[in-house]
Parts: sequence; C-alpha cells; structure tokens
Amino acid sequence: MSVNRVLEAARSASQILPARRPFRFREWLERESVFSWLMLTPPLLFLLLFLGYPFCYGVYLSFVSRQVARPPTFVGLGNFVTLWNDPIFWQAVWNTFRFTGAATILKLGGGLAMALVMHQNFRFKGATRAVLLLPFIVPTVLSTVAWQWILDPGMGLFNRGLVFFGLMQQGPSWLGNPTLAMVSVILVNTWRGLPFFGITILAGLQTVPAELMESATIDGAGTWGRFRHVTLPLLMPVIFIVTTFSIIFTFFDFQLVYVLTGGGPANATHLMATYAYVISVTTGQLGLGSAAALAMVPVLGVVLMLMSSYVRRD
Amino acid sequence: MARYDRADGSTSRRDFLKLGAAGAVGASVGPGWRPRRAEAKPAQITFIRESSYVKEFDEHFKNVLIPRYQQETGIKLVYEIVAAGGSAVPRNIAIVESKAPVDAGWLQQEWLFREGLLDVSDIAEEVGKQQGGWYPEIKNLSMWEGKWKSVPFGNIGQCMVYRKDWFDQVGATTFPDTWEEFYEVGVKLKKAGHPYGMSMGHGYADNNSWLLPLLWGFGGQVVAKDGKTITIDSAETAKAVDFVRKLYKDACIDDCVGWLDPANNKAFLTSQISATNNAMSIMISAKRDLPDMGKVTDHALNPKGPKGRFHSLVAVTHGIFAHTPDPAATKHFLKWLMDPKQVAAWYRSAQMYHAPYLHAYDKDEEWNKEPRFKPYQKVLETGKLVSWPAPADRRAGEVVNKWVVIDMFAKACTGASTKQVIADAMTGLKQIYG
Repeated sequence: MSVNRVLEAARSASQILPARRPFRFREWLERESVFSWLMLTPPLLFLLLFLGYPFCYGVYLSFVSRQVARPPTFVGLGNFVTLWNDPIFWQAVWNTFRFTGAATILKLGGGLAMALVMHQNFRFKGATRAVLLLPFIVPTVLSTVAWQWILDPGMGLFNRGLVFFGLMQQGPSWLGNPTLAMVSVILVNTWRGLPFFGITILAGLQTVPAELMESATIDGAGTWGRFRHVTLPLLMPVIFIVTTFSIIFTFFDFQLVYVLTGGGPANATHLMATYAYVISVTTGQLGLGSAAALAMVPVLGVVLMLMSSYVRRD
Repeated sequence: MARYDRADGSTSRRDFLKLGAAGAVGASVGPGWRPRRAEAKPAQITFIRESSYVKEFDEHFKNVLIPRYQQETGIKLVYEIVAAGGSAVPRNIAIVESKAPVDAGWLQQEWLFREGLLDVSDIAEEVGKQQGGWYPEIKNLSMWEGKWKSVPFGNIGQCMVYRKDWFDQVGATTFPDTWEEFYEVGVKLKKAGHPYGMSMGHGYADNNSWLLPLLWGFGGQVVAKDGKTITIDSAETAKAVDFVRKLYKDACIDDCVGWLDPANNKAFLTSQISATNNAMSIMISAKRDLPDMGKVTDHALNPKGPKGRFHSLVAVTHGIFAHTPDPAATKHFLKWLMDPKQVAAWYRSAQMYHAPYLHAYDKDEEWNKEPRFKPYQKVLETGKLVSWPAPADRRAGEVVNKWVVIDMFAKACTGASTKQVIADAMTGLKQIYG
C-alpha cells in the first residue's frame, strides 16, 4: 500500500464522520428532553413551594407538641394517640364519611340527570346552562350566608314554602336539629357541587357517537336500553374521574360547615377539616391540629390509588 | 411594624446603634466625629384591631387619633382592621407565629400566645393609677406570673336583651330577677308566639354569656380555682342542665340550639324572639334601622340563680407583640392611646360599647345618654372570666373553644340524658386537664 493510498483512505474516513456543528441555543431548547423539563420546572417549583413545603411542615408538626408562641417538643405518635382517644375526633370522622358519601351520591345522581336534560334541544339552552353553573361560580362563603337565610326557621324560604303550601303548620329547625343540620349541610354541598358533575358529564355525553345510538335504535333498543347499554358504559371514565375529584373536594370541605353551623349543634356537623381548624387555630395546638389534618391523607391516598389503577387499566 | 426611613441619609435603628457606639468611641478618642442624626424614631407603627359594630368608633380613631398622633410625634400610624366576630384571634396567632410586621394590637384570648407579648406592666400600672384603678377580675387575664402582658381596654358586655312590649303583655313589667322567674315568663311568651332565643351553638360569645353565668348561678363550676381539679360532675351542674333543658323545651325557639353569634341578632330584629343574651349591637341596629322596635327594646342583667348573679366577660385588651423592632416607641404609643386625653373620647365615640375596666368611667356622663345601656356597665361588678374560677390559661381556652360546656347543655336539649352529657363533658375535660 502506497502512502498516497493510505492518505486517501484516511481522507475518505474523515469525510464519513459528521462535521461538528456549532452549539445552537435554540436547537438545544427545542430538544424534547430539554423543553419538557423547561416547561415542567415552574409548576414543579410552585408545587414544591406552596404544597410540598407546607405539607412536609405539617408532617413534621404532627410529630411534635407545638403550641402557639412556644417551642416544639418531640412527642412521636403522641398526637395521633391523643386523637385516637378523642370522642369528638371520631365523631368528626364519622360525620365526614356520612357527609362525603351522601353528598357524592346525590351530586352524581343529580349531575347525571342534569346532564341528560341539558343534552336535549330546547329553547334558551345556552342561557340555562350558564345559569346552572352559578352555584359553582358564586364564592362559597357568600352562597352559604344566603343559605343561612334560606334555612332560617321563621323567615326562610324553605319554611315559608312549607307553611304556604299547607304541608306544615310550622317549619322544622333546619340548623337546630342535629339530624336536619347534617341534612342541611349535605344539601348545600350538593347544590354547590351539582354543576361540576352536570357540566363534566354533559361534556362526556357530547362525545357519544350518534352512529352508535342509531344502530342501537335499529337493533330495537328503547330509551332505557340505549342509556343502559350505550351511553352509560361510554360515560363511565368521565363519571369515575368526576366522582373521584368530588370525593376529594367534599372530604376536605371546610368553608360551608364553618360558616353555616360551626360544626354544631353539639358537634353534629363537625367535619375533620373543621375540627382540625378548631384544634390548630382557636385552641392554638398546632401539632395536634396538624395530626388531625394529616389523618385525612390516608383516605385521599386510597382514592388516588383507586383512580390511578382505573386509569392504568384503561 | 415600626419601620425606619433610610432615604436621604437617615439611619435605620441598627445603623443608629452602630453609629452611636462608634460615636461614643469617637467622642472618647477626640473631637471631629459625630453621628449623622441624634435620635432615630420609627417611621411607622402598625396597630391592628377588629372592626367595631359601632362604626363611629373606627371613624374616631381614623379621623381624630391617627392625625393627632402623627402631628404630635411625626410617626405614621397604620390602623389595620380585621373583620369583626372572631377573626382577631386567628390573626393574633398568625402575627405571633410569623412575626408579621405588626407592632401592637387588640387582643382576645391572649392565654393562647402570652409568650409572644411584651411586658407592659409599667403602662398598665400607670393607667390604672391615673384613671381610678382596674376592675380586679380583668387582672386575672392581663396579668400572668406577676407581670402585665396586656393593658385592659374594655368589656363587650353581654346582657339580656328583650322586647319590653311583649313582656308587658304577659304581665312581666319588670325583667325576671331569677332564672326560675325567667322560665315562667318564657313559658307564657312562647305560648303567645314570642319564644326566647338563647344561643347554644358553636359561637364565641352569645352562648357562653348566659350558659356559664347560669351554671355558676346554680352553684356549678367547670374547674376549681387550682386549675387542676375538674369539678363539673356535681349535683349543681345536673340542676343547671335540667333547668336549661326545660327552658329550651318550654320557652325557646327550636333553632337556638345551633345558633352562631349573628343568629340571635337576626332573629330578634326579625321579631322571631322576645329575648336573648347579647351585646349592645341589637339595640344599636334597632334604633338605627327599625326605630319602632328600638323604642320597645330594653336590657337587663342576667337573672340570678340560687348561688347568685353572674355575668361572663368578653374581654378586649391591647398588647405589644414581642417581635416589634422598637418596643420603646410602641410602648409610648400604647401609653399615649390609653391616656385619658385620648381614650376617654374614644370610649364615648362607641357609646361605651366597650365598657371600660377602669373605675374612672363608672359614672361617666356617656352612660346617661342612653340609660338602657347602663346594665352593660353593671355587668363589670359581677363579671367573671369564662375560665372562672380556674386561671385563664391555655387549657381554659381549650375548654371554651372546643365548646365542652356549651355542648353539654346543647346535647341535653337535643335529647341526651343529664348523666350522659355530664359524663361526656368530663371526658372532654379530662383530655384537656389530664
């Protein structure tokens, strides 16, 4: 092999190697791995700062005895043991489950019905949809104050209506009777949360292909049959997601009960959230209050696990 | 928060201290070096307060006291108002915990955060000496371990508010003197369609203000003076519970067992109830908005029980947050504020809504302008702190804020037995007092 041939071979090899391109910032930004992290960083930082930090601080607080204006002392699981032996805490737990269960079922049933009605064609459909969103839009504290008036024993809309239509001589005490007080807070929560279900399920309904309905009709399915075997199965993913979210919101509800009953009468409507607030803020026991708030997390964990397993299955 | 101007070469407090020290050294070394400014004062003092039901009270502070203070001292006074009806305590706690830039403020339930307050004994002693002395009961709140942690301001008195016209109609021309008489009149009034509305829900004042005095009047006590012995399980408490149950059943509107503080105002002003226990706010609203009702509304002291007549205090005090960067300036402000030249007119601007804990105002001319307000002054004579006879400490606060005693009565009214409700209260108290 002559020297020339060797040089030639080396030259051609160098031609095969790609030329080293200059670094371009814009191209670097457009790389998927870079761009995705760039987009993810602000929300991640936001979550870490405003959610992660308070949450971790809350976890820390739950293991210490920490009273306002006093230094903390480590108590291990002491706060949780105190709560375990606290009958009001257990009443609040039981109330929270009853409240969340009843309100979610009512919202689901009502929201489905609302969506089915809204899916029909009628005059002023757009305006009606907008009006039905109102309970969801109005600030909770404001609407709850209005509900205080509606549920007033003498002046309230409910009792005046009952008397006017001759159903009763005197209306009941909606917020004074322990059972009715719970019914009332469930009712108000349902009223507020119904549009969330209604509108989301309506969005799901609009994705049900018309061809499927037509073929079901040709196959002889009636209205109920079409709903049961076509609409409902196709709506299930939406219903599952909306119910999961609603359980989370309802479980942590605070404003409504705090404004309407303060957890009374005699703790009949105390929820875990309102009780945690009372312990933390009005009695100044930040550690014990954090433990009470944290006790809600396992339930949230179960709901999230259910949700993610459902999503994965699909 | 006391802040310091740094523009145009003026100094911050820390700078001033450094300069002062350097100046002292300089002076000792020799002439020719002087600090830039002889004294440093805060540019601003922030004072936080709950908004008053009597709007003239806040207006007087804004329109008279703030300009006067600024004129006299050159310090800007920031008046931060939080919503009335229970928001002061969470705000106070947040200020203490986060060391928020607030120097002084209206305090309630200071047993929760006394460690975050400055010793103000010098101011409280001087103000007391200057203005007739303090009512003794308030010292049990403001003084802790021998030091004044707050300067008492006034009592948002709680009395019986009633419709005189309806009471007259059933033959009660003077307000019932005993709880038993109160019950008997109430039975007649309920039959006539005018029930009482005695709050027993999760509020903060209108429930304690009659249930605790009633319990004490019957001889019951929650915790003994030693602050350790739980004394609620007694025959006297059982009698008080039985009495409240029958009062509720035979003389009250059903709804009142769940009422929060605004509910009885609403019910009274809409003519649904003939009597309740409340501050002056009902009459102030009635006179302003419903003049006819204002004419027939009156006040009376709480009825007495077998062991005497009692009232519970709804105390408002002023304190200085320990983290203020300039304790001396903030103390000067509080002393200035409590000087009779300022505080007397401020009390009067609210028609004595905050009844002064100072004896100098016992016979103040303002009490004669509306004689129907006078019971709110008399409340101070028999008024006890909600913790009474136990010390006003964190544990007593927990009893109040968890509604342990209130719920004992409310449960009895909604069907539970006397034995059961006292046992439940005992469980709650044991958890708190150990």
